[in-house]
Amino acid sequence: MVQLKETKKIRFRIGPDNVLYTECFPNTLMTLEDGKESTRISAELVNFQPRPLLCDLTNVVKMTQECRRHFASAEHAATFSRAALVVTSPISRVIGNFFLGLNKPVKPTRLFTNKEDGLQWLMEREPK
Amino acid sequence: MFHKYVYEIPLMNKYWSIHGDTQPSHKEDPRLHAILDMIGKVAALDFSTTLSTSDRNDMVDAIAVGLNMLSEELNTSVVEKSKLDEVNTKLEKFAYTTAHDLKSPLNSIAGIVNLLELTIRPNATSEVADYLQRLKATVDKMKNLVQGILEYSKADAEKIERIETDLNKVFFEIVETDQFLQEVKVKIIGLLPVVFFNRSAIYQIFRNLISNAVKYSDKEVCELQIESTEMKDHYLISINDNGPGIAPENHDEIFKLFNKTSTTKIDSHGVGLAMIKRILEASGERIWVESSLGNGATFFFTIKRLKTFNN
Repeated sequence: MVQLKETKKIRFRIGPDNVLYTECFPNTLMTLEDGKESTRISAELVNFQPRPLLCDLTNVVKMTQECRRHFASAEHAATFSRAALVVTSPISRVIGNFFLGLNKPVKPTRLFTNKEDGLQWLMEREPK
Repeated sequence: MFHKYVYEIPLMNKYWSIHGDTQPSHKEDPRLHAILDMIGKVAALDFSTTLSTSDRNDMVDAIAVGLNMLSEELNTSVVEKSKLDEVNTKLEKFAYTTAHDLKSPLNSIAGIVNLLELTIRPNATSEVADYLQRLKATVDKMKNLVQGILEYSKADAEKIERIETDLNKVFFEIVETDQFLQEVKVKIIGLLPVVFFNRSAIYQIFRNLISNAVKYSDKEVCELQIESTEMKDHYLISINDNGPGIAPENHDEIFKLFNKTSTTKIDSHGVGLAMIKRILEASGERIWVESSLGNGATFFFTIKRLKTFNN
């Protein structure tokens, strides 16, 4: 089973802790097309069984309105049970706050300024 | 008195100046100018500008990205709202035209039913007489609905002519002309004011609120209390009843056109409250209800005071 996958913009990985890790490469501009590709790859990696998602948005410099809406949609939410968004740069913080405030994802989603806190929150709520 | 300030600025902070007269000034980052321009344009509902960002990923870039996204979202909302407004305007015109076109055939039907009744003169206890009564009641119901839609469509501020109107006289006119099937007790606290408003509009508002209170009353005696409070620029008129009350989740719903939130079998078209809200809001006034189930309801509305207009 494939545990790792990369596109031009995102690296996807399933950890031994059963968490789906996604990380954008530097200066990533996310479009709707990228968002849909991300959903497709995530769904394949988790074998269509929603898992906790730790998404590192630090390197994202722009996310289009259509892409934000797609990530907040039920279609994308089918790939994760809850999502921790890691935002350590000013731009990613703004994008993350916009995403939570305006687009309102359908599954529990929170922002974290470091991966450890995000991972702890995901694991606390994941059924053993 | 001005103080001279001298600052020692670390080299890495390239946007601070070295000295100033009253406070530190900024050696302005050109991106800040673009941000200010963008805010001005967005405030004027011009969403054509997009700010570019540098590769620094600093706070200024974050503000620029945030503004770009705000502009996008606002643009979408403004476009959606204008489409919705356009659809609403078309729907209202359609409702008005349809109601207007239905008025004449409905009057004809009412006339024909009366003629039919006169011609066949059915026995009062016969099924035919019962059917005729039901037919007449249905036609009346349709006529009321059509009339309600027409009045709602006409409730437009531009057409409202304001005159000095004594609310006491309006109230007693309603009491004299309207006949209710149940006992109604009305208590007016103090004197109602003289307002500067359209007389027939204020008549409609009072009549509608009073007849609603009576219509929905679940008590043997419907008790109403009408009061006016003088505020700085307007009067706050309240009409309180001892009826079944309105659940808080329906406080906004009852003012919507064709609303059917009532759980009782009261015959209502859901036009009256929508119409008076439209009349009041089109004139810059407000109407709302305060109520909970089982505790009656108090409808409040505002009317500007005479001096507000005179000034």
